[in-house]
Amino acid sequence: MMSQNQRLRQAITTSQLYRSIFRHDYVDSLRNRALEVTSNIFLHLHPVTIPRHALSVRFTFCLGGLTFFLFLVETITGLLLMFYYRPVPDYAYIDMKTLEYAAQFGVVLRNLHRWGAHLMVVTVMLHMLRVFLTGSYRPPREFNWVVGVSLLVMTLLLSFTGYLLPWDQLAFWAVTVGTNMAAATPFIGAEGPFHEVLGAQPLNDVRFLLLGDMKVGSNALLRFYVLHCVGLPLFAIVAMMVHFWRVRKDGGISRPL
Amino acid sequence: MDSTEVASAPEAAKAPPAGSRAGAPERSASSAAATVFPDLVYKEFLAALLVSILLLVWALAINAPLLPEANPGKTENPAKAPWYFVGLQELLVYFDPWIAGVGIPTLIIVGLMAIPYIDTSHNATGRYTLGERRLAIGHFLFGFALWWVLIVIGEFLRGPNWQIYWPWQSWLVPKSAEEKLWSFPWWLGLPLLAAYFGIGLWLPRRRWPWLYERLGKSRYASAILFTLLLYSVPIKIFLRLLLRVKYVLVTPWFNI
Amino acid sequence: MESTDRVQKLLELTRRELVSRGLAISGWSTFAAVLGTGGLETVRFFYPRVVYQPPSTFRIGPADGFAPNGDDSDAFGVLLVDDRWKSQSRFVVVRERNRIYALSARCAHLGCTVNWFNDLRIFKCPCHGSEYHSNGVNFAGPAPRPLDRLRITVNLDGQLVVDTSVTYGPDRFDIDGAFVSV
Ligand code: HEM
Ligand code: FES
Repeated sequence: MMSQNQRLRQAITTSQLYRSIFRHDYVDSLRNRALEVTSNIFLHLHPVTIPRHALSVRFTFCLGGLTFFLFLVETITGLLLMFYYRPVPDYAYIDMKTLEYAAQFGVVLRNLHRWGAHLMVVTVMLHMLRVFLTGSYRPPREFNWVVGVSLLVMTLLLSFTGYLLPWDQLAFWAVTVGTNMAAATPFIGAEGPFHEVLGAQPLNDVRFLLLGDMKVGSNALLRFYVLHCVGLPLFAIVAMMVHFWRVRKDGGISRPL
Repeated sequence: MDSTEVASAPEAAKAPPAGSRAGAPERSASSAAATVFPDLVYKEFLAALLVSILLLVWALAINAPLLPEANPGKTENPAKAPWYFVGLQELLVYFDPWIAGVGIPTLIIVGLMAIPYIDTSHNATGRYTLGERRLAIGHFLFGFALWWVLIVIGEFLRGPNWQIYWPWQSWLVPKSAEEKLWSFPWWLGLPLLAAYFGIGLWLPRRRWPWLYERLGKSRYASAILFTLLLYSVPIKIFLRLLLRVKYVLVTPWFNI
Repeated sequence: MESTDRVQKLLELTRRELVSRGLAISGWSTFAAVLGTGGLETVRFFYPRVVYQPPSTFRIGPADGFAPNGDDSDAFGVLLVDDRWKSQSRFVVVRERNRIYALSARCAHLGCTVNWFNDLRIFKCPCHGSEYHSNGVNFAGPAPRPLDRLRITVNLDGQLVVDTSVTYGPDRFDIDGAFVSV
């Protein structure tokens, strides 16, 4: 005799709707554990089984996974912030300032986005450190290390482009100095060594390419905004796809001989 | 039921890693396997949960900074880069912008990417060790620590006008102007630089012949060059701080 | 030697091989050309044709408005440094015994705005600590050259006019336009 609960449960789990989403039942068996991973697009990043040592938190400290998690946090909080932000010098600062009143929890959202970004820089650097200390960059994983370095660069660039958006004094001067360094690039920067070889001038050098102007202004704000919200995340996502795929193709995370 | 799905499961566990080279020293995974669901997934879930809690508390407790609106006529004093770039900003004191802002970052990125193509040994892979990879780990940790030390200097010891203020000194007390800087004349700078790199390339081969033997010519040369470049950064910093040297080498086109 | 070998090899190709090679070459070059022009166009796209700049000329009053209180100049011959325009327009006006010129307040290092310290008689940059004498010549910190000077002229009303869009480097400090004689 089935209880009310069991009957309800059975009604749900045998319904066409449920079966259309979940292709297997949840009874704990090796087979279902495997299906849990293979029939779920999000989990199937993973293999079905891994060597026991790879479970050890004290080996990876979950740092790569946490970096990815923080990337997701940044994506979601960033998307929400976009609803209250206009990338124009006349509005950008006001929008930041009034976020507190414009939306309930607006400031918390901004804090989450900002501190999450800081935390992501920390975790990505520690992740690199752990990969180095465990020698996990060695063949056959050398290319994945290279992909990793580009992810590190992407993380820093995302942080840096985001830094301009509040359009406050911190933002303005950090980016002024940062982009003036670009003008010091040899050959292609107007103030760099050998700039006369190719005829680099303030109007045609790399800084102008970055800012769309000779100084940080509305063009720069718009450029950084587009890079921050669309361009760089797209690159980062592609690089992460390659990164995760390679972790598996290179034989899972590394282990002692 | 769907048999292909089931078949793929153990296969994924047993199959040798597709990308692994012949002879890549991996043990077969069969020895002690764990199922990802739930053994790994719950750990990932817990880790994400803990970080979410940390982040949420942090975001509720401390507001992100927002200074006055951007004003091209007035620079904050001091004007600091975001902390992860403060190390680079600190380097700008000691190097020209094209070195500190373009050269060094490029070398760091290229150098990092080159690591696995220089160190291809399999000694002590996949576990933490300090003693067995003393050279590699020592130099890497030195560079990693240097990055953080520069961040700490820039973030906590630099005050108005980017002058050194110790934590117990007040930012309100202005500091006097810095002394004049001087540069090495070329007949001193050029030989010094040449000697640094020349001896640097030659000496390790003399002292540790096995290193050259193991790495081969080009790996040895790149490993040593990157290492020498790494140590040249603190050397220049000390020259500047102790001897007030602005440039080690002055040429009509660029200065180092 | 080698080239004749190569010619020889070409002559030995069958017509079929020759055609397929020609097709491959022209195909790949078209591909490269398309990619190349696309790339160039994209880069060019990022250089806007028009940039809107705020007005760059400022009237700062007649020259006798820059009369120093006393007659003592400092070690660099400077009687007066006037930074009233610094926060709005990013320049300072310097009075020497016989000339007036406008210094750009944009640090010659990486473009922060320098501050004038009248008691020390130096400019200091907040960003990386560059320091300049009262005449704008750098003496400490990372700055590679003196502060730029800006075009300064006298208009028909006898007013000094500073144009921040025209700058003079050290080799042009003494040419017409870089200063006004008094
Ligand atoms: C956005 C940045 C990054 C994300 C999301 C990420 C994510 C991950 C994840 C989830 C793993 C699985 C193992 C673990 O969690 O430690 C991993 C492994 C790995 N990562 Fe990253 N990573 C990032 C950046 C980097 C960087 C900066 C490097 C190195 C410069 C790197 C090099 C590697 C390598 C070589 C492995 C394989 C490790 C092994 O086999 O033990 N990754 N990464
Ligand atoms: S911008 Fe003035 S010292 Fe760097």
